Amino acid sequence: MNNLTFGRYAPFDTCVHRLDPRTKIMMMILLLVSVFLKVNSWSSTLITSAVLLLFLIVVLLISRVSFVSLFKSLGAMWLLVFLLVIIYVFIPNSSYNPNHIAFYIGNYGINYDAFYQSGYIIVRLVMMIMITMVLTSTTKPMDLTYAFEWYLTPLKLIKVPVHIIAMTLSIALRFIPTILEETQRIMKAQASRGVDFNHGGLFKRIGALISLIVPLFVSAIGRSEELSNAMEARGYDPYGKRSRYRKLHFGFNDLVAFLLVFAIFGAIVALVVIDKNFFEVNYIYWIFGFNPIF
Amino acid sequence: MAIKINNLSFVYMKKTPNETKAIDDISLEIPEGKVTAIIGHTGSGKSTLIQTFNGLLTPSSGTVEIDDFVITNNPKKNKKIKELRKKVSIVFQFPEYQLFEETVEKDVAFGLKNYGYKEEDAIKEAHNALTVVGLDESFYKRSPFELSGGEKRRVAIAGIIALNPEILILDEPTAGLDPEGSKIILNLISKLNEEGKTIIIVTHDMNIVLNNSDHVIVMNNGKIAFEGTPNKLFASDVSNYSIDIPRLFEFCLLLKEHNVNIDIDKIKNVDDLINQLKERK
Repeated sequence: MNNLTFGRYAPFDTCVHRLDPRTKIMMMILLLVSVFLKVNSWSSTLITSAVLLLFLIVVLLISRVSFVSLFKSLGAMWLLVFLLVIIYVFIPNSSYNPNHIAFYIGNYGINYDAFYQSGYIIVRLVMMIMITMVLTSTTKPMDLTYAFEWYLTPLKLIKVPVHIIAMTLSIALRFIPTILEETQRIMKAQASRGVDFNHGGLFKRIGALISLIVPLFVSAIGRSEELSNAMEARGYDPYGKRSRYRKLHFGFNDLVAFLLVFAIFGAIVALVVIDKNFFEVNYIYWIFGFNPIF
Repeated sequence: MAIKINNLSFVYMKKTPNETKAIDDISLEIPEGKVTAIIGHTGSGKSTLIQTFNGLLTPSSGTVEIDDFVITNNPKKNKKIKELRKKVSIVFQFPEYQLFEETVEKDVAFGLKNYGYKEEDAIKEAHNALTVVGLDESFYKRSPFELSGGEKRRVAIAGIIALNPEILILDEPTAGLDPEGSKIILNLISKLNEEGKTIIIVTHDMNIVLNNSDHVIVMNNGKIAFEGTPNKLFASDVSNYSIDIPRLFEFCLLLKEHNVNIDIDKIKNVDDLINQLKERK
């Protein structure tokens, strides 16, 4: 249960924390696109990945996101990574160079490119997690929903109930920690009745989970009913006009940060367009220590 | 089974900006076969303390010794924790939220089945436990979700009593109950204590402390501010711990102040006072 805390808002006061959430969301989108843009020539890939990784490490350091929790979240993903490697290594791909065979399993040739591809995808996954972690651990959930609402405002023109969506979102976000707390509480109560959530066979564990999920649903549904009554009692009208306590402010720092990220994004897009192999580094040789072709 | 606590500390969210020390190096012994009340304002570490008693929380440092069970800060060394939890059981605050089975008897039997009881034996024990908490046969086949708050709580307590623990810990057992419901729960606690069980109650209700407990521990900011009998506590200067002296005891103190000769160390309830006043003649 405790590893769910990864990416949780950490109340520091760094320059990344102080940025406008709207800027941060836009920057996150730009960076995610940059990470997942496919550059064909591998030397450009190496450059873009290195630049992005370096940039993200610096951002993580500035925003005081704990690297421990990053590694913990990666640890939780080991199965995914393992499956990815298996898939990439064993599924034949026509784009691989048929001459780059690392070794044979029976008659089946394993391509060097497969290792390269799986390594690349893992690096991209890591970067994706880093980006989202910076966003969620430096921005209060409420500010995030305000920013989402702001981005969705144009949809009001085509009669999309933006404020209702935003209210739903903010309530959902607001109750995640509450429900987590409730989960812990019920787990402890059931552990006092001899439930063991961590050991035992499949059926025992399913039984243990039922004793957790049923009370959790009962209390969540009860809570939602109470909340809706409380909102109505305070005169909540989904279509009414609402004023806001906290206003978002786009300042000079936001501009600078945005331009920096935009420059990185632009450079990577340019690289994709040019897509030229800058230098000949033999990565196969570099990884495996010998080259079967040259 | 007495509980011995040695230099116990507990820190929440260690190494984060939200780090808080809930328990700060305390040592104490909870006497066997008595009712001990733990009081203190919200956030003073009471609930954290009781959760270390059956290993739900692993101490940051120090140990909790119960018989030959020793809970240390190394979770891997804390073996046989499941057996410990059968001997030391906690009824949490608002325990009615832990009910989940289709019928009352099944819910009470749930804990027993976790400890390897056969279905029929578990149901039989469950019926006994339900009788102890004062719920008759008509409740056995009902859904726990259709009961009233007080009845639900009694079902939840029955679920713990059915395990026949030697030490029973109750976290605010009367919170949110009407006077009738509280009375039933408190009578139940006295009855279980008479049967020889060690009881620990966490509470904000000073009347419970005076009427129902033999020993009281006051916690303040993760430390022990007072330990002794309730009468000693209320007779001392309590202005520091946000404690309301029970009306009865306040009255006794006033009597004493006006030179009425009574022994305030022996007054637990109105009857005690009346008897003492009668004997004076």
